[in-house]
Amino acid sequence: MNERYSNPYLIGVILGLILLFSFYTMGRGVGSSASFARIAAESVKLVAPDHAKANIYFAKYMRGGKSPLMAWLVFLTLGAALGGLFSAFIANRIKGEVARGPSIGVAVRLWLALAGGVLSGFAARLARGCTSGQALTGASELAFGSWIFMLCIFAGAYAMAYFFRKEWL
Amino acid sequence: MGPLYKLGWFDFTYSLQLAALIGFFFGFVLERAGFGNPRKLTAIFYLRDFAVLKVMFTAIAVCILGLLYFSVLGWIDLGRVHILPTYIWPQIVGGLLLGAGFLIGGYCPTTSVVATASGKLDGVIFILGMVFGSLIFALVFPLIEGFYTSGHMGTVRLPDILNINSGIIAFLICLMAVGAFWIAEKTEGKFGDKETLPVGSAKIKRTGATLLILLGLILAVINPDRPVYSKSSVPAITSKETEKIEPVAPTADIPSSNEFKIVDDEGC
Repeated sequence: MNERYSNPYLIGVILGLILLFSFYTMGRGVGSSASFARIAAESVKLVAPDHAKANIYFAKYMRGGKSPLMAWLVFLTLGAALGGLFSAFIANRIKGEVARGPSIGVAVRLWLALAGGVLSGFAARLARGCTSGQALTGASELAFGSWIFMLCIFAGAYAMAYFFRKEWL
Repeated sequence: MGPLYKLGWFDFTYSLQLAALIGFFFGFVLERAGFGNPRKLTAIFYLRDFAVLKVMFTAIAVCILGLLYFSVLGWIDLGRVHILPTYIWPQIVGGLLLGAGFLIGGYCPTTSVVATASGKLDGVIFILGMVFGSLIFALVFPLIEGFYTSGHMGTVRLPDILNINSGIIAFLICLMAVGAFWIAEKTEGKFGDKETLPVGSAKIKRTGATLLILLGLILAVINPDRPVYSKSSVPAITSKETEKIEPVAPTADIPSSNEFKIVDDEGC
């Protein structure tokens, strides 16, 4: 680690202002998880177009004959990748590695990353959003379900923490 | 007056460019905070580093205050902001699963993108997993559609549920945030590693906390609900009774006057 991370409160204030800017300009908050569902829809469309159209969930991403990837959140996610890249670059933090705790192997960590990803991808669709699109955005709007959702994220993660402590500590 | 897009200030193409810009800053600050690093992200669940809680709650408090002050000043029409609808059961189960996925995988969706951008292979694998997980969801969707739409309560907000005006709710959230930060710092002092935690002056923290509570308190006194919703064209928020009887379609854009329609307005 070449540079200390920034103060979380300062980051929080800036993030809050970014979110406010998004509400002011677009009338909606940020998000990203739908981008991955759209990538899934696009992949299915490439491999088996009829299959993609027949799926009632993917159908909503293909309304109007547009590509599922021509969407607001997809561009936001691309921007986030660029922003993350830029920040990591100026802090000298770009490094090819598998991030993990000291007592776990690379292979196990990658399998767990895959499992966690599958679980998160599924869960984000079920809850209609993720930590940003549902928790951050919805909580700022004081949406009731989003507050409950956010508490449940913390509950779910704390419940698992003990069993996966070797992965991180 | 905002939201600019819904009032027809710019078109879809421009909104995509704006999305990339907003995303850029979003990804940038997440990486700054260290959220491209899963050990930093999961440290909160081992009580060692509460950066996740601090960033999230500060951002939420700032944004709540911002939205309500903007609305009081007449700069934004909250009636035209897309409020996420509540589907309580899928949100509870989805939240629990997402939390488990967060701890097991080390990331949440956006942070995995930032991790990937900074070269982490596990971030790439996590993203592949999410694509696969979304695919599974779409495939089994016909089986779980009933659950997916269960517990629909419409666009209810905390002020509706608790029957308290949103200024007071904002004030309570500010108080809660400051309380949570205080507990978090105490816990970090006990379990955390002072070498890696970002430093911050106690004086600035106290000033920030005071400012947050003060802004919340002013809001509680001026009661933003009146000016906000009297001009709003959305019936769903002013009268929760009618809301409960006939729940509106979640993505429906209720203001139907001359501004153009947004086809793809979804939460995440």
